[in-house]
Amino acid sequence: MTAKDVVKAGDVTKRVGVEVIRARGVDVDKLIKMLIANAGAEFASTYYYYTILRMHLAGHEDYKEICEDARLEDRAHWELIVPRIYELGGELPNDLVAFHNQAGCPAAKLPDPPTAANILQLLLESERCAIRSWIEICDMTFGKDPRTYDLAARILNEEIEHEAWFIELLAWERDKKSVPSGHFRRGEPGDAPYSKNRPFYIPG
Amino acid sequence: MRYPVRVQPESFNITLVTPEGEHTIRVGSDQHIWEAAAAAGIRLPAMCHMGHCLTCAGQLEGPGEFDPSDARQYLPQDRAAGYILLCTAKPRSDLRIRTHQQRAMRRFRLDAGLPAPYAGV
Repeated sequence: MTAKDVVKAGDVTKRVGVEVIRARGVDVDKLIKMLIANAGAEFASTYYYYTILRMHLAGHEDYKEICEDARLEDRAHWELIVPRIYELGGELPNDLVAFHNQAGCPAAKLPDPPTAANILQLLLESERCAIRSWIEICDMTFGKDPRTYDLAARILNEEIEHEAWFIELLAWERDKKSVPSGHFRRGEPGDAPYSKNRPFYIPG
Repeated sequence: MRYPVRVQPESFNITLVTPEGEHTIRVGSDQHIWEAAAAAGIRLPAMCHMGHCLTCAGQLEGPGEFDPSDARQYLPQDRAAGYILLCTAKPRSDLRIRTHQQRAMRRFRLDAGLPAPYAGV
């Protein structure tokens, strides 16, 4: 069966972009739900709560900047994947609480006590959950849905970098051990080299 | 001279009723059941490994005790319904557990108006 057989000319109720991946074995309904759960983890569990964690790293301006990088890149992940949810025929829940409650990763709530080591460990485990979540999407789509795979792989690349950052910082803060991330610095905070959406067009 | 006595943690028989058949393994009281199963070559579903996403959900068949405190989101209602998150549960008695209950647990949470990660998956 080819896409031409499935979608009639002029039909706006179906998408060739969806039927071709369904024909290649993707469970599109499951994929949509997983993308919404991962989007919830990016926006609610991390981007929102990382804002609070960042505020409690006073005196550690280096940790604060790395936390800021991760926060803004998780926002970029959210913005990258939301259009794909709609392309696949899904939609975001029209209720923010419901959206938060179906997120695939735990909320990165400020730990008690909010020491730098506790915050760094929380950041580290949040990134690890993200890695596990996005590689599931990669597994589901590899060889079947190039577009979602590309988007998920871009995000996964950055989550792996985030994990390396927080391993380096936590190992030093808590254990006084050097476990290098191996990375050079980003450009501006939130540069998101793999995942940032195209910026707004500014004429002139 | 008195020498310190090293107390070995207890271990328990955990029977896992999987779609492929039953497996009984010994799991220490300081071990998470999922990890012990993996070490025994039994691959069970899991994703977040934080006791949150419900992918590792099982359900007790019969009485038993376990420590769920390592889970990030395990609710009293879950315990009352007999659900267990294998990635973070540590046994406190012999247990018989039906695995691969993620859909049922997500449905349970939704029907109860509780947070349901990956709802519908």
